[in-house]
Amino acid sequence: MLQRHNLLRSIATLLVLIVILAAIYALWLRYQVEPVTRDGKVRADMVPVAADVSGLVTEIRVADNQAVKKGDVLFVIDRPRYRLALEQAEAAIASDRVALAQAVREDRRNRAMPDVIAAEAIEQGRARAEGLRAVLGQAVAARDLARFNLERTMVRAPVDGTISNLSLQPGVYLTAGKAALALVYNHSMRVEGYFEETKLPAIRVGDPASVYLMGVADEIKGHVQSIAGGVEDRERAGADGQLANVNPSFTWVRLAQRIPVRIAIDKVPANVRMIPGQTATVVIHPRKDGREVHRSLPW
Amino acid sequence: MIEEVHVLGVYMPAALLWAVLAAVLVYLLRVPIQRLPVYRILWHPSLLELALFVLLWWGLGAFADLFLHEWLFS
Repeated sequence: MLQRHNLLRSIATLLVLIVILAAIYALWLRYQVEPVTRDGKVRADMVPVAADVSGLVTEIRVADNQAVKKGDVLFVIDRPRYRLALEQAEAAIASDRVALAQAVREDRRNRAMPDVIAAEAIEQGRARAEGLRAVLGQAVAARDLARFNLERTMVRAPVDGTISNLSLQPGVYLTAGKAALALVYNHSMRVEGYFEETKLPAIRVGDPASVYLMGVADEIKGHVQSIAGGVEDRERAGADGQLANVNPSFTWVRLAQRIPVRIAIDKVPANVRMIPGQTATVVIHPRKDGREVHRSLPW
Repeated sequence: MIEEVHVLGVYMPAALLWAVLAAVLVYLLRVPIQRLPVYRILWHPSLLELALFVLLWWGLGAFADLFLHEWLFS
């Protein structure tokens, strides 16, 4: 009787143990294996808009956070100065034309009287006319450049986008090439999920994905567009051409790296606004087509 | 899938919340299950509470994902 009772107790205990292990396995699948990350970020490419010519900013034609189309004028740089430069270049052309005409006349006269004028003087006259023709060519190019610069005083939006971080005011002196404001390129909006490498085997390009912005319950639909081609190897430092500098081993604990997975946005609910930099939860729904990668168990 | 839950502006993993809820539930259910006959035939009676805890932890998460998705933040 006691024997049977002991057997019953052992079996019951064993069953409860199995239930515990099964539940732990289910939890592990749920929280460690399923391709979900809370570390997603909304990202977009940004164009730092810079002036092509230096000068005082005379007019700002956009407001902060305004949406602009490609080609819209954003701000204007000192047009009077560049208009004066254009006038100066045109005057230089006129002056060069006069000098050239005079040299050509002299040259023609000299060549008409080869008996009176020394051959050397005739040659010199022809060379002067040729030289002045070249100078005129230079002046024309300088005028075209001045006109081009005048056009470039209107700084235009290079892409469709949203103005961001605009603190430019009239009177600021901008040097050419220095970024004056940031333009967010709206069409490049996407979500990057930073997935642990342990979750990566379940993700393939083309898998549908759900994105939830922090604090927003509405689902943004998307799909996996691409997976990063590489991340830096943090175990080694040093440049190419030197000996490998590998970190000492840290035997006990190793952490999973995170790999950026790019999610293309397919459908955004009408009331949801995506702003680059927002935090998002990304859930990937792996397609079941029999091509799953075998993943290792916890050990 | 409900992945994070915000409590007073702090976003925490949903798993933590389910674990806390499961622990509280198990604590409340302790007295009733001590009356069950199966409790007396186990070598280690507290194993049953542990099993209940992990099952509830997993079950709460699965239940919330299935039914509470509409009004709980994911």
